[in-house]
Amino acid sequence: MEKTLLKPPVEVRYQGELEALKGTDTGCRPENWQMSPRAVRTFILGSPKPVVYEGKEYIIEKKYFGNDALVERCIVTLAGNRGLMLVGEPGTAKTMLSELLSAAISGVSTNTIQGTAGTTEDMIKYSWNYALLLAKGPSREALVPAPLYIGMEKGILTRFEEITRTPAEIQDSLISVLSDKVLNVPELGDNGFLFAKAGFNVIGTANTRDKGVNEMSSALKRRFNFETVMPVREAAMEKMIILNEVNKLAEESHIQVQADEDVAEILASTYHELREGVSSYGHRIDKPSAVMSTAEAVSVYYQAMITGYYYGDSHIDMDCLVQNLVGAVSKENKDDLEKVKAYFNTVIKDKSDKEGGLWKKYYEARKWLR
Amino acid sequence: MEKILRSEEMAEIILLPVRHHSPACAFHVSRVIESIRPSVILVEGPEPANSLMEVMTHKDTEAPFAIYYSYHDQSGRISEEKERYKCYYPFLDYSPELAALREGKRLGIKAAFIDLPYGDILAASNEGSGLLNRDAEKNNYNDDHYLSQNEYLRQLCERTGLRSFDEFWEKYFELNGLHQEDGIWFSNLLTYCSLARENSKEEELKAEGCLARERYMAERIAEYAKAAAPDKDTILVITGGFHTPALKALLTGGDAGEKQGQMPEGDTGRKESILPPQDAGEEKQGQASEEDTGRKDSLPSSQDLGERHREGKIPEKDQGVYLMPYSMEAADALNGYASGMPFPGFYQKIWENLRETETPYSDVVLDMIVASGKETRRKEGYLSTYDEICACAMAGGLAQLRGKQEPGAYELLDAVLSSFVKGEYNLASDTPMRILRKRMTGRSVGKLCAQADVPPIIHDFETECRKFKLKTVSTLESESTLSIFSNKKHRQESMFFHRMGFLDTAFARKIKGPNLQLKRDKNLMREIWKYKWNAQVNSALIDVSVYGATIEEAASGLVKEKLLKDMGAKEGAVLLTHVFEMGLTGQLQSVYDRVHELILQDTDFYSLAEALRTLMMMEELGELYESRMEFGSLIHIGCRKLIGLLPSMTRIKDEDLGSCMTALKLLYQITGRNSQEQSGQGKYAQERESYYDALVRMNEDGQIHAGLNGCIHGILYGSGRETASEVEMVCRGYLMGTGEQLFKTAQFFKGVFFTARDLVFIGEEFLKMLDTFFGQVSAEEFMELLPELRMAFTYFTPRETDKIAAMAAGLHGTKQEDIRKREVIMPDWYSYGAEIDGYVKEKMAAQDR
Repeated sequence: MEKTLLKPPVEVRYQGELEALKGTDTGCRPENWQMSPRAVRTFILGSPKPVVYEGKEYIIEKKYFGNDALVERCIVTLAGNRGLMLVGEPGTAKTMLSELLSAAISGVSTNTIQGTAGTTEDMIKYSWNYALLLAKGPSREALVPAPLYIGMEKGILTRFEEITRTPAEIQDSLISVLSDKVLNVPELGDNGFLFAKAGFNVIGTANTRDKGVNEMSSALKRRFNFETVMPVREAAMEKMIILNEVNKLAEESHIQVQADEDVAEILASTYHELREGVSSYGHRIDKPSAVMSTAEAVSVYYQAMITGYYYGDSHIDMDCLVQNLVGAVSKENKDDLEKVKAYFNTVIKDKSDKEGGLWKKYYEARKWLR
Repeated sequence: MEKILRSEEMAEIILLPVRHHSPACAFHVSRVIESIRPSVILVEGPEPANSLMEVMTHKDTEAPFAIYYSYHDQSGRISEEKERYKCYYPFLDYSPELAALREGKRLGIKAAFIDLPYGDILAASNEGSGLLNRDAEKNNYNDDHYLSQNEYLRQLCERTGLRSFDEFWEKYFELNGLHQEDGIWFSNLLTYCSLARENSKEEELKAEGCLARERYMAERIAEYAKAAAPDKDTILVITGGFHTPALKALLTGGDAGEKQGQMPEGDTGRKESILPPQDAGEEKQGQASEEDTGRKDSLPSSQDLGERHREGKIPEKDQGVYLMPYSMEAADALNGYASGMPFPGFYQKIWENLRETETPYSDVVLDMIVASGKETRRKEGYLSTYDEICACAMAGGLAQLRGKQEPGAYELLDAVLSSFVKGEYNLASDTPMRILRKRMTGRSVGKLCAQADVPPIIHDFETECRKFKLKTVSTLESESTLSIFSNKKHRQESMFFHRMGFLDTAFARKIKGPNLQLKRDKNLMREIWKYKWNAQVNSALIDVSVYGATIEEAASGLVKEKLLKDMGAKEGAVLLTHVFEMGLTGQLQSVYDRVHELILQDTDFYSLAEALRTLMMMEELGELYESRMEFGSLIHIGCRKLIGLLPSMTRIKDEDLGSCMTALKLLYQITGRNSQEQSGQGKYAQERESYYDALVRMNEDGQIHAGLNGCIHGILYGSGRETASEVEMVCRGYLMGTGEQLFKTAQFFKGVFFTARDLVFIGEEFLKMLDTFFGQVSAEEFMELLPELRMAFTYFTPRETDKIAAMAAGLHGTKQEDIRKREVIMPDWYSYGAEIDGYVKEKMAAQDR
């Protein structure tokens, strides 16, 4: 039996699209890139016309919502001499964007350093296979390359996730590599210089909520172009993202349910209003301190959907939605729940009076806010 | 380009569509004029501005400048309020209209404006739309919204992946269109404009007076065409692209009119509509040849458009038209004036480079990157040349990716954002962007040639300046010291300065002297002013010239307009102080009446209290300012109203405590003062009673704000309605209260000290309580309360605090001096201590071993 992956990497999930774009790409491409910058843009931002390749039509859907100019800047940055650093609130699809970029540009999105407080320099550059090292002495065979090494050697992108979670001295190991594009392995003697191949670059992501944990040094900052990824500012777009993502998740877990537009709208407007601090009717709202990201909204919706699928009649139960919402907001601060309660008692109450229907059920489900 | 071929009666007409403020468009327009050499150039713009043509194209006149149109609706044709209206028509060097006028002057071609006069446009617009939109901060004659806001465009941007109309325009018409042939460029623009037109709503166009204007313009064009030689002359008409399709339809009577320019007969409720779709030409002709007298009378269509009003001609004396210097900041659409393309500074540079190089955009982008880089480096210090190189590469790369021939304004912005901003993009890190934006806006200010006609208000300004011997030639700041209460002439000069300030001309600023608005420095007898004249002062004066012909008139006019606006009692009283300072005695009564009205209407406690405070002050100063106004009755009404509102003011927010306490004190003063005077005996006695009653009622509320509670007890104690021991009781209540209540003691003290600080000195009880309070709170809590306590003690004079300190010291059995004095520590004590330390350490180490 074929094993299904929980979350296949981007290059596998969009294999068809990538091949079609590659096959039909006529633009000039930077050395070692899998496709031209314009095709990369099309891959991420979608195209209104389907791409015909080897007799088959591929619809290139829009994968990243929010800021097209930002995506363009990212692509141009990666073709240049500097690394790309995506910063922003949690849940603003920074990681997704970096995966999409590396899958399109280098064909792989898995050459990744996952930054944690315990990340060490050998997880970034290289380490040794000690058996071989003892047997043969320092040699290329005994060297175990880490993502930065691999990126330089093959001329592909290296992704560095959550860079500010790693200690500052470890982050700084990137500095000289990024500016000189050469990595020295002193153990290998004269052959120890690894010169980066064209196509190599680094995409880092950093979370602004972690600011101050391990602030990047200004020397490192200088080697990156920064792109600040903002949360989605329009409720309508947020709704669309929720629908898209939830349907994708459902498809992956073989759940035969389509996301409900009205429910997505309610959830999107809840998240949107709590994040912005003002409702569509103009109420002023206390903002919860928890992260109200679109990604969180997707997971709240998806959980309610699975519950409905396995325990209910495949419909989304408002009670269940609110229960999941509670789990999502009351993570850090107990006051947050009070704020959400107040939000229900004012905004949702007014909406249920005015709109009725699902809003009313949503309002009635407030009893679960505790 | 739309050509309307010459006929037997008319010369050839070429309709040239333009977008206001566009370098590429201005460039193409100049080239067209150069090549076809028309006999007349007709430009969209209200006709009365024809008189300004000479000055506009004069070699000493520098853009940006604007035509200022004003209209005073004295005949009440627009609304019953008979208001004043104004709008601007800004010109930049790269405005196609100005480029055409300048080119015309160079080639000796006659030029003229052909649009309806401003007042008539207003009359043809519906309330709230077009130029009659009062919510707009500044109304612009050449608003671009027809082209930049429609459903078609929204979809177009989505398809092309561009952010906005401005980016769309830049990509297709500026960057990629610069090197196109003129004919192709204009036909592209016309296509876009026709599509935009089809996607606009007929009713909106009518409501905004757009259709009326087009009709008028078409008539004027036809007149000019007929006056010219039919066989050889060519008439070039330059209008916003949005109007071109409609003008063509109107002029040819083609069926395009059905869709675009449309004028169904029922539309105006008039019998003969001009230029009906079919045989417009002949009928029009007939009219024009028969009625040579007064062209406006021959064109009933332009006047009876609206159903509601507007018979006859708008009187000329009510309309004003002047040129005024303008600034790039004002011209920038990003500042909310929607006058056309954003980033005027950037496009100005493009325009200057246009004929110099093949790649104007790349050059300007490079210049801007380097210049903003330099400025960022100076301000923030971190930017390197390499950052600038990266920014340049980014701009170029983005242009390539987006399919633009050269990087434009949006690539420039993106490049700087990406390469100059380090870390998260937020208020703390956006300096490079702010620097760049400023540069892209530009800072140049226009200049008019010496012959420019100015409105009478400027002459008046000059006369006044001469009268007071103020220097208006020097651009250095001068100073003037005025003894306003002893010297009549000084008082007049002060009035002049105040009027200028009220008119927002930035001519003079008061650096010292009584400030009635803030109620500060009322004791000062002199005012010191700094003043400086520059071109902006004149611009600002032209801007307000609609209010009157002299400074005094304009100030009065502005006061009258402000009176109509919605405001609270507080704002009304402030306006009264302005009128006071400006010496506008004629306006005093009406403002006074309005304040009266506002006091009756206003139910906001703080606003009323503030108004009352202002009125009290004015009553005091009345004699000095020679107002001869009686404020007594106003104060009385306000006082009664405030007392009525009092009982509801118990549960206030912490931040309102200060103003609430001041209000209480104020009421105490008002209700008290007249009972002391012989004349007003009894007048306020009743108010005083109800004031105390209200206070007692307030105290009955268990949830009353602690500070307020203290304040009220203080007042009641002062009035003899409560004894010191009663106040002590309440205080003790807080002290013995549970957790939160205990904390409120500090606020309570603050309130008491505010109104009755003498309580502390009458016995030891109060101090003892304070002492207990300090004993009860922990050190940490004390630190938390400290700011509040410090505030509370600021009500005491230094001598009093000393006294309190002495008493407090007495409570603990010491003297004040003992607290202050500390024993001197001798150096040998220190060394002795160190010795002991060393000894102990040694012993302990020995024991460890």
